Amino acid sequence: MNKLFVAELKKVIYLRSTWVFLVSSAAFGALNTSATAFFLGSEENFGMPGVDTVQGVESVYANAVSSYLFALIIGILIMTSEYKHGTAVATFLVSPKRHRVLLAKIAVGATAGFTVQLISYLVGVFAGFITLSFQENVATPSTSSLLNTLFACLISGFVLGIVGVGLGALIKVQVAAITGAVLWTLLVESLIILFFNDIGKYLPGGAITGVLQIEVGGPPSLDLEFNFLSPGASTLLLLGYAILFSGIAALTTLKKDIE
Amino acid sequence: MTLATIEFKGLTKDYGKNIAVKNLSAEVFPGRVTGFLGPNGAGKSTALRCLLGLVTPTSGNSTINSSKYHDLVDPYLHVGAVLDSRGFHPGLTARQNLKVMAAASGVDKKRIEEVIEMVDLKDAIDKRTKKYSLGMKQRLSLATALLGNPEVMVLDEPANGLDPIGIVWLRQFLKSLAKEGKTILVSSHQLTEMQNTVDDVLIIHKGELVASGNVDAVCAGRSLEQTFLDLTSKAV
Ligand SMILES: Nc1ncnc2c1ncn2[C@@H]1O[C@H](COP(=O)(O)OP(=O)(O)OP(=O)(O)O)[C@@H](O)[C@H]1O
Ligand SMILES: [Mg+2]
Repeated sequence: MNKLFVAELKKVIYLRSTWVFLVSSAAFGALNTSATAFFLGSEENFGMPGVDTVQGVESVYANAVSSYLFALIIGILIMTSEYKHGTAVATFLVSPKRHRVLLAKIAVGATAGFTVQLISYLVGVFAGFITLSFQENVATPSTSSLLNTLFACLISGFVLGIVGVGLGALIKVQVAAITGAVLWTLLVESLIILFFNDIGKYLPGGAITGVLQIEVGGPPSLDLEFNFLSPGASTLLLLGYAILFSGIAALTTLKKDIE
Repeated sequence: MTLATIEFKGLTKDYGKNIAVKNLSAEVFPGRVTGFLGPNGAGKSTALRCLLGLVTPTSGNSTINSSKYHDLVDPYLHVGAVLDSRGFHPGLTARQNLKVMAAASGVDKKRIEEVIEMVDLKDAIDKRTKKYSLGMKQRLSLATALLGNPEVMVLDEPANGLDPIGIVWLRQFLKSLAKEGKTILVSSHQLTEMQNTVDDVLIIHKGELVASGNVDAVCAGRSLEQTFLDLTSKAV
């Protein structure tokens, strides 16, 4: 088991795309926090809480969580590159007991997702801090909100790394899986959370927002109302997704013929 | 009489109506190169994939050292396989690909240099494999199969993409492995070449075994190519 974990980790580390996505992830986090800081600090923030409010500043930092998409993508790569390049054959020849390979991949997906989100958090918070430092009357965020955001980053990275492995095992075609994941995360899921909040709060993105424990709202003029599950329930729900997608990975990998 | 290392026992694999392998029973012995011959679509690759646990047979089974591949302890140290030239990641160098395999199987890293030297790829070891020619990929596949220093080698068309020098090299290489007592099962449809390489043959046609045994006995004075044509042109 340990040997397979090391081997799977090597595959991820040797791949250039891993590093490209890691850098993209950090950049995405930084872009989100600094853009939010810029927007909320400007006059035209549509009456949303400004950077002179604790709520405003905390939502700036909370945006560091947004790069969980990249944890998902790296998870997808871990699985789909085996099929894309035919390395699944070699992998299962070394270890015909496929559940062991799968466990190793799930563990590596979780590790990679966790790492990606840890780095994105640090870079995102730093970028938010720098952008805020150019503004005046900036409120101070509570330590607990920063820790909450850190926790949300880590749990989302951990879970979505695993979800990515399951999704990759299910879809197998790399471009399709990644395109699907990007569209889902950036578009479909956001729209569902926006318009069907009662369903949206149960989706991974909704649960991650629930873990963040921040007030989420739109411009007062739009009169949007959001509610999310409690942080505890959201965390459990996310872990449930990790288990669900591990199950999907098992169902789609353990018995199937390998081409 | 030596014991067979590889056994197919009534192996059958169908894909819906298409029966790829039909009740195949055969034995492969150590210290010999056994050619697994048959026309395109005869079921060679399917049978080998069943043997290696990648494909689940519809019925029957196949064993290596009396165990199913799945049940072998450290299979990589006992069985080396070349299935096609796609067994490694194009974005990784040969060394990185082999390091992954070595890590997964617990083979000492020192062995990487050894196998790369065996297949004459020393100058390209740190090149990404997407820049490899077909022949180089075949050599790397062979290196991957040799990594665990296995006593059984299963090779599906390893001569694909090799130039004449490479083919001669491969022939001598396989023969030398057999001389060390290893079991070599090699599929091919390059018959003239096979005639000079193999000790035994298994000939399959439309999924069924049509001849097996010592190559001279099976050919009975004919060339391997003629024998093959005689056997596979018959209605089955
Ligand atoms: N995954 C699959 N799904 C459906 N049919 C398949 C599959 N794999 C193989 N077959 C069929 O099984 C038969 C045997 O194919 P196989 O690849 O084993 O032949 P082969 O002897 O290796 O041929 P070649 O010399 O061309 O490599 C063919 O009719 C092929 O179409
Ligand atoms: Mg074939």
